[in-house]
Amino acid sequence: MFDYPIFDMPLIGHRLLFAFDAIIHVFISHGAAVGGSIVLALAQYFAIKDNDHKFDELAYKILFTFFILATAVGALTGIGIWVHVNIINPAAIGALLRVFFWKWFVEWIVFNIEMVFLLWWFLTWQKYPLGTPGKRFHFKLGATYAISSWFTMAIITAILGFMMTPGNWLKSEFPARPDYLASLFNPSWFPSLGFRTFFSIGWAAAAAMVLTWFFTKEDEALREKAIRFFGKILWVSVPLFLLFGYWYYTQFPQAAKDLFAIGAVTRNLASNPILPWMLNLVLAAIALLGGILLYTNPKKAPLAVAIALMVGCMGLLAEFERVREFVRKPYIIYGYMYANGVRVMDVPVLNRDGFLKRATFVPDELKTVTASNKVVAGRALYEMQCRYCHTINGVNAIKDRVKNWDEKAIYSRIGSLNSSATPFMPPFTGTDAERGALAAYLASLNGPAAHAVQH
Amino acid sequence: MDFKFIPGDIPLPLPTGGLEFLHYIFHGLLVVSWVVHILFINVLLGASLASVYFNKRGARENNPILDRVAYLLTTPVTISENMGALWGVAPLLLISVLYTPLFYSASLMNSPQWLHIIYGNIVAFLCSYLYKYSWNTLRENKGLHITIGTMSVLLFYTLPPVFMATVQLYITPSTWNHGQNFWDALFRADTLFRLAHFYLASFAVSGVFMLLYGYFKRKSSDATDQAAGAILIRTGKAWFIVPTVLNFFIGPLALFHFPNYGLEAFFNHGYHWGILLTVLLALYAIHILVKEFKNDDIPPTKVWKVVIIMVVAIVTMASIRHGMRVALVSPVMAASVAKSEAFQKEAKEAYEAAKQSHLPSTTGPRGRILAEQHGCLGCHGERERVIGPSYAEIAKRAYTPEKILALVRQPVPSNWPEYAQAPMPPMATVPEAELREIANWINGIK
Repeated sequence: MFDYPIFDMPLIGHRLLFAFDAIIHVFISHGAAVGGSIVLALAQYFAIKDNDHKFDELAYKILFTFFILATAVGALTGIGIWVHVNIINPAAIGALLRVFFWKWFVEWIVFNIEMVFLLWWFLTWQKYPLGTPGKRFHFKLGATYAISSWFTMAIITAILGFMMTPGNWLKSEFPARPDYLASLFNPSWFPSLGFRTFFSIGWAAAAAMVLTWFFTKEDEALREKAIRFFGKILWVSVPLFLLFGYWYYTQFPQAAKDLFAIGAVTRNLASNPILPWMLNLVLAAIALLGGILLYTNPKKAPLAVAIALMVGCMGLLAEFERVREFVRKPYIIYGYMYANGVRVMDVPVLNRDGFLKRATFVPDELKTVTASNKVVAGRALYEMQCRYCHTINGVNAIKDRVKNWDEKAIYSRIGSLNSSATPFMPPFTGTDAERGALAAYLASLNGPAAHAVQH
Repeated sequence: MDFKFIPGDIPLPLPTGGLEFLHYIFHGLLVVSWVVHILFINVLLGASLASVYFNKRGARENNPILDRVAYLLTTPVTISENMGALWGVAPLLLISVLYTPLFYSASLMNSPQWLHIIYGNIVAFLCSYLYKYSWNTLRENKGLHITIGTMSVLLFYTLPPVFMATVQLYITPSTWNHGQNFWDALFRADTLFRLAHFYLASFAVSGVFMLLYGYFKRKSSDATDQAAGAILIRTGKAWFIVPTVLNFFIGPLALFHFPNYGLEAFFNHGYHWGILLTVLLALYAIHILVKEFKNDDIPPTKVWKVVIIMVVAIVTMASIRHGMRVALVSPVMAASVAKSEAFQKEAKEAYEAAKQSHLPSTTGPRGRILAEQHGCLGCHGERERVIGPSYAEIAKRAYTPEKILALVRQPVPSNWPEYAQAPMPPMATVPEAELREIANWINGIK
């Protein structure tokens, strides 16, 4: 990332802020939009079939909630993912855009269809009452919305799949020429799409069950019917997403599979091999227990049961995204670009000639490491190579990592970042003098020079 | 022109697949999608403000027709906030792919404020939904209702400054400095004049929109809607005429604050004729509306004439705007691509040299080679202390290979109290067979 200026998010780190935006987007896009459109179109279909006015009205209430969430929060946090990535890792998103431009463009066109049909479906629900011939037409608006919203997910999933398993996508390395079809049909696209599709449907069904609990306090018969209806959708989707999930897992590179335990919890907790499993089993148990209790006894189920179902699902979804993002390390595009925006192919030249020399926004006086600029030059290197995952003194603080280490020890450790001790870290890139500068800066964080460097 | 900073371009080809004409399509799509986006945003800014204004007046004068006008205006707000965001994605996508190094650099310089376009927007959306869907619930509590509406309007109005500062910064890379930040970019004459021009244009476009909206409502069978339509038509005319006239003065101020090399290219390409055309079209539209100023039943042909004239004027303005962007950005982008290509040439050379030297050259016991490969030597020296205990010291403890295996998988820092400052992380990924070789090598150290 030597081509761009630096924005350093203090304390929480930009990574955490990004994760916050991204997970909200996933909750809503998967639940309220993709899964929600499918589940509610189905509900409307059966309401028309049974001529059930109350069920139709309930579906509209749920859609109202989904509509607000999807348009105000879901769509904008989706754009937010992009904006966050362009701040954190412009080199990576720039590369993805060059490879996936037309797929993104098609996705945008379908996104238009999705938005128009969502607005049309939602804003005209009352206009076509149940029992009128227009209602069947109205159902088709919902069905179109559902199909288009699934399609947008299909394309974005291809890009996510590409980042993990790009397959044989580079036709030549210098100059880099991508194979656009191979990038799209990368090995994990279909399995991950199947996984996300059925997870979304299940999660939307669960959310609809919870909303039903809130919307049907005065009508127990409707509550029973609706919860059973959405519950059936949930039960059907569970084995399907597990099946696709397993297929998806088989596509991961071995190095990524090796990181699963650490990704599921943290490195220290993962030294206990039971914990990663425990966490996920507990989340699944909470979700399942909530779902089963709500399903078997919809009339009497207390609020806690509905909340358990929701929290369990959200926990699993967040855990999945965390693991997926973690096990891709040390890469952002597997085998092509490290998580800190350095292309694997550029490492030799940067090691030979120096990293700072190439950095566009680094002042001239720092481009060559000298005895007098060592610490400040080291800070520039920290900002360009480490800041992606670390903060200085907040989340994943680099200051704590090197506490009580002397400069020599830090220097030594920098030489083996991408090793079994920390297989998820990219290697340090730069000359030996630059490695020394980074060590000097990191040592200064806990040393007497600490105040001189930090503003 | 000298540029202090030239970030290198992304080392992957533009997605034209070798078809040169796609470049023109990129530029055409950029202009068209941007026009659609900005029209929605113009209407969003104008209609949301007008809705709160009429709501307040309706409450004060206890006038149900004004209340109806205010409510009617929430529909274009809902549609244009959604469609405006959606159609903003296409130009963002095109700019990100065509001018990656410039646009992303500017976004970074303007962070974290740049994130306001997401988080500020979300809160504004939620407030505007709350305003719309609480219309009947809060009928008896207009003070609260108007406060919610005002909040959403204020929030929407904070978004254009963020966009304008970033857009202005990325198209003028000659102005970049070390430590460049958002507030510097915002409080620059060029940014402020463009921002003023944009807000005024938003009112003018909303004026044309209200004229059209009012014309349709005038045809309604509902008496309240007919009366509301007349108010929309009257307001629309005034909202169009006054800001447009003001923009005749603000426009040139914005234009002449662009860097000289851009202005030069701008005039050399004849884009100033486009400005003249736009001014003439706007004057003609003003002329029509001034003549019909007092007529609430303005003939439909005149309404459509104004709409069409202004669409042509806006597309012309957008093309001029794009012309200025190309004039400003092209020399830097050319240098950026050249820089990236030169770097790739050197990278290739070093990459191939490294490939040659990667042939196994390390000598020594296999256990030591494996220890080096797995990064063990980064912390443990063979004989000297680095971070953890040296292997010679570990060998003195005479652990069995099984014990070493277990300790690597799950280290016990309390075994080495004098090294407790830097406890060893668990290393789960080293294969067992290789670990045994390493263990045997350690135990062999005398």
